[in-house]
Order: sequence, then C-alpha cells, then structure tokens
Amino acid sequence: MNPMTPTLELREVRKRYGDFAAVDGVSLAVPPGTIYGLLGPNGAGKTSTIRMIMNITAPDSGEVHLFGHPRRPEDLRRIGYLPEERGLYRKMTVIDQLLFLGEIRGLKRRELLPRIERWLERVGLAEWGKKKVEELSKGMQQKVQLVGTVLHEPDLLILDEPFSGLDPLNQELFKELLVDYKQQGKSVVLSTHGMELAERMCEHICLIFKGRAVLAGELRQIKREVAGNTYRLVADGDLDRLPQVPGVEQASVQNGVVKLMLRPEAEGPEVLREMVQFLRVHEFRSEEPELEQIFLKAVRDAA
Amino acid sequence: MRLENIGVVAKREYLLRVKSKGFWIGTLVLPLFIVALSVLPTLFLTKSRTDHQVVVVDETGRIGQEFAANPNGAQPQKEGEEGKDQRERVARFEVEVEAPAADREAQRAALDRRVLAEEIDSWVWIGEGVLRGDPVEYHARSVSNFMTQEVLEDRLSELVRRTRLTEAGYDPDRVGELSGSIDLKTVRISEEGSRAEGGLGSVAFAYILFFLLYTMMMLWGQQVMNGVLEEKGSRIVEVVLSSIQPFELMMGKLTGICLAGLTQFVIWLGTMMLVTAPGMLAAMATLPEELVLPTVTLGMVLNYILLFVLGFFVYATMYAAIGSAFNNLQEAQQVASVAVFFLVVPFMIMFQIINDPNSTLAVVTSLIPPFTPMLMTLRVSLDMPPLWQLLLGYVLTIAFIWGMVWVCARIYRVGILMYGKKPTLQEIWRWVRYA
Repeated sequence: MNPMTPTLELREVRKRYGDFAAVDGVSLAVPPGTIYGLLGPNGAGKTSTIRMIMNITAPDSGEVHLFGHPRRPEDLRRIGYLPEERGLYRKMTVIDQLLFLGEIRGLKRRELLPRIERWLERVGLAEWGKKKVEELSKGMQQKVQLVGTVLHEPDLLILDEPFSGLDPLNQELFKELLVDYKQQGKSVVLSTHGMELAERMCEHICLIFKGRAVLAGELRQIKREVAGNTYRLVADGDLDRLPQVPGVEQASVQNGVVKLMLRPEAEGPEVLREMVQFLRVHEFRSEEPELEQIFLKAVRDAA
Repeated sequence: MRLENIGVVAKREYLLRVKSKGFWIGTLVLPLFIVALSVLPTLFLTKSRTDHQVVVVDETGRIGQEFAANPNGAQPQKEGEEGKDQRERVARFEVEVEAPAADREAQRAALDRRVLAEEIDSWVWIGEGVLRGDPVEYHARSVSNFMTQEVLEDRLSELVRRTRLTEAGYDPDRVGELSGSIDLKTVRISEEGSRAEGGLGSVAFAYILFFLLYTMMMLWGQQVMNGVLEEKGSRIVEVVLSSIQPFELMMGKLTGICLAGLTQFVIWLGTMMLVTAPGMLAAMATLPEELVLPTVTLGMVLNYILLFVLGFFVYATMYAAIGSAFNNLQEAQQVASVAVFFLVVPFMIMFQIINDPNSTLAVVTSLIPPFTPMLMTLRVSLDMPPLWQLLLGYVLTIAFIWGMVWVCARIYRVGILMYGKKPTLQEIWRWVRYA
C-alpha cells in the first residue's frame, strides 16, 4: 500500500431514515499514522457515519474505501471498533469474553491466550481473568472493552466517544494507546463532541453538522483557512493607521492589545515590516483560533 | 457466510448455558421428579388398597352371601384383563353381611354410626327389587371415590346378572363363554414383510415426539427468546456485528442454544432409560403374546432423530423471530404463544392422518415446513412415505429454517439500532426488506 493512501476514505456517503437525512453526503480521508477527529454536536451524524463504515448499516449511496480499496467484508477484521453504546457479556469470564472477541475476528485460541495475558497484565487486570464480567467494577469493564478493541492488533481504530464515562486513569490509558498507535503508523478515528480533547489529540479533523461535513482536513490548515492569519500585537504609536497597512483585513484594539486578522494571501513578517515603520512593537505573534471558535463559525456559516 | 463464525458464536452460547448452575439444576430436577412421580403413587396405593370395609344388608339373601364369599371377583374375565390389576389397586373389599332387621330405620341409623365412628367405610343396601333393576344404595362419608364405586357397581352387577341367569334356568358360565366378543388382530404390511402389530402402538412414537417437542419448546423456546433479547440488551452486539454478519450471529446463537437443549434432552433420556430399564424389561417378559410391539427399523430411528432436531429448530426460530422484534421480555412474552399455535395445528389434524396416512391431506400438510417435523414423524410411524416426499420435506424444512434465520437476522440488525420503541408489524416488515 502506498504510504500516502488513506487508511479510510468516504465518498459522498448518504443515509436517510425516513425523511431525516442522518448523513448527507459526507466525504473524508484518513491518512495513515494520524489521529483523526470526527467532530460535531450530538445528533450530527457521527455515529451513523461510523456504523456505515463498520457495515452495521448500509449507506443509501456513496462508497466506503478501506486500506486503499472498496471495503471488503474481511477488512472489518482489521479494524478495532469501540461503539458509543458499550457493553460486554456479563455472565462470561474476562478471558472467555476476550477469546470470543478475538475468535470472531478470525484469530485462533492459541495465539489469543498469550496476547490476552499480556494485555491483562498491561492494564492491571492479570488477577481478574477468571472472574465474570459482572463481578468487575465499571472502570475494570472499561479496560476489558479497551483490550477487546485492540486485541486483534487492528490497523485502524475507530472509537466513538471513547472518553465519555471513563475515569481519569482510564482516560490516560486510552490516550497512551492512541499515541502508541499513531507511532506505529496506524490510524485512529476518534469521534467526539469534546473540542478541547480533539484540539489536543488530533492532527486531522472532520466537522460534521446536520449530516454534512462542513469542514475537513489538517487541523493546522483549517485553522489558517477558516480564521485567516490571526495575530496578537502589543505596540505603541498610531494604532489607527493599522487598517491602512497592506494585507491587514481587520484590526481591533482591546485593552491595549490588538487582534489583527490578515488577508489569507498576506504574510505576517511582511506586514510586521510595514508596521515597524510607524509603531514601536513590543510583541507580535501569531495566535491560533481555538477549535471551538472554528466549530461555531462553521456551524453558523452552514446554518 | 463463514461457518467458523457460526461455530464461534454457537460455542459461546453452548458453553455459557452448559456451564451455568441453572442448566444442571433444571437437568437433574426433572428426572428426580419423574422418579418421585412414578414411585410415590404406587406406594400410596398399596398402602390404601386393603382399607375398604363394607357392610352389606341384603334383602334377597343371595347376592350378599356370594359377594362376601368372593368379594373381589372370580378369575379375571378376558375383557377385564388389563383393568383388573388397576382395580385391585383402587379397592379391595372386605365384606360383612347383615340380615335385614325388623326395625330397618334403627338398623340404618346403627350402620351410619359405625361409618361415622370409622369402624367401617361404607354400607350397602340391596333391596328385594334388585333383580328387577332397582338400584342398590351406597352409604359412605365420602361419595366422591368414584373409582371404588365403579368397581363395586361392576362387581354387584355381575353377581346380579349371574343370579338372574340362574333363575331363568341358564348356566352363567356357559352364557359367558358363548357371548364372548372377538379381538381384531392387526397386521401391518410393509416392504420388509408383514408382521402382526398393535394398531395404536405405531402411533405412539408420533405421540411421544409431539410431547417431547412440546415440552422442549415450553422449556427452551423462552431460552431462545431470552438469548436473543439479552444480546440486544448487552450492547456488545455492535462490536460483534462489526466482525460477523447478523445471519451468522443468529444462526450460531440458535445452534448453540439448540445444542444445549439437546444435551439436556439426551441426559434426560439416558437417566430415564436407566431408571426405567429394570421395570421395562420385567414388563416385556410378562407381555401377553397377542400384544405385539411396533417394529422400529433403523431408517425410522434416523428419521425420528432428524425430524426431532429439525422440529426443535423450526420452533426455536419462531421464538428467535419474536425475540428479535421486541425490546424486552414483557413485550415479547405477549406474542410468544404464537409459536405454540404451530405445534397445536398438527396435533389437530393428527387423527385424520392416522386414519389415512397417504391421503392428499396428509401428504400436503406434512410438506408444509412448520408442520413437517410432527406430521412426517407420524407418517413414518404409520407407513413409510415415498423417499421423494421425505427428501422434499427435509429440504423444505431446512429452507424454512434458513429463511426464518435470515428474516430474524434482518429484523434484529435494524431492531438493535432502534432502542426503546415497540415496533409495529409494518415497521418489522420494513426492517425485513431493508438492506
């Protein structure tokens, strides 16, 4: 597989439930070795999109490509999927449960057993393998779910709101794992409505709103494109001349701090060279808009 | 479709059940119950049977004497043969005869007192007109012991009949000989040769299968339904369905649960055979020559086993369908009896088929899949149907099971994603067609 071939690609995927368009032509591409954020408010169509990727529901139209080709049934075994609605078979022991989850992905018992042992060790559940799931605490069950998701060493992880309901320790465990995956050159799709989290973890995002992908791409690029070049300026002098400087789209002064928004084609250093001719500049640095703001702006634009 | 996926799911379902305590409690309690059921009544009956003390006041002066001399009948009559043992268990009389006193009212009152004091169980008044058909009076604390009364009635009738015959100048024994009825000896003709057989004996297997299937469905239908419902409730199903197809999941589930059911069944059959074997062997040894057991060929046995397993699957799929369409047990249970309906229908047309196992009705209905397991068993017992009909029956039934599982899987796949809402029939139909 070409190293640049997207691990997962959606092309104009649509899904209607009666009159309601749950997913309305979403296209996106998840590059290998990235953590990809599928963002959007509740009910935007994130879970519906994921279910179509996982072949739990069929799209009305559009294509799902995995690992560089149209999805084949066996591709799904290379995915580790953690749905939003999580559960385990309560009456089964931890080991039996994990064996089952491994076996339905085509693995054999003898290769699974040592893996299960290693994983239980890693998440600190080595003593609990023979216990029934219902005897475990909620936090322990979350760990078992996590192990069940990665046990078959998938090439792509799809996690739907993975951090909701997790205790802080397990959150760390999950994050560690995601970073691990990225470093191995594998991809992670992370669906969440938590912008802060996505901002910290994802390099690529897709913003979904009302079933449409209103924004998709590299996060840095998006920030640039959406908000333009935003700078923070602290300076003495004739601040009123700022709007006349070429390349400046907008300048607003608040408490002695200027927020500069440059035109998309403008370059920060050139604008600075112009400004130092009439201002004594103490501070000039680019300031990234927050994902939250981008999200809200995108939603407003789309609405 | 991958068979190994079905296998993985089936293994999980099977082990989960067989490893549970409930399974073993259920499996062991029933045989114990049956042993108790077969031993206890015999114990009680043997204990109670010598108890019936009766005082007979006889105005004719003949019948009472004869009754006292031989209270429980002479040599068993031919027609009463099977019943005699049973009757003796119900009542063995000890008879005491009293001559009618001058003051009849006082005598009656005295007898009543003896009954109330529990010295005797009952007293009987045989009036003078008994030979002309007047009734005999029976006085006891309880008059609901109809089995005892029937034995008494039969015994007295016989004595009265004999007395009447003697009075009319006939020899009662000779009359009995001359008026004996005949038996029909049935011979079944089949390819393997003719053999004398009991008419009803060959239907017995079909009956047994019906009741076995019925019991199994009563016990395991619910399990199948629960199993499907539980899967929905566990929420793990989304992970499972992302790796295997709904059909594989449903088929595996059904196979696993059915195998657990069959395991229980085999254990039951085994224990019952062990428990009843000594009695059965003893009974076989004492069977009269005329009673011939039906011949069971290897082919029939194979058909029985296959039909039983298929029958189990057919009805299990119905419970699975119900389980897959609803969200919780309460909702599902309201419709669960529908599956039983499919067991009752073949039972209703059973007798017409027994009468003519090769009629159009029999052939057609035995090829309708939900009815095939039961009706084909009946036909196999009575007269082996042509091979093509058997094969067609099997193919159709397997296709039916396949189709049902397919439909279940579809309903299920959509059903799990629509939490909380009770579906309408229309919606279920949409789910089936939905890809």
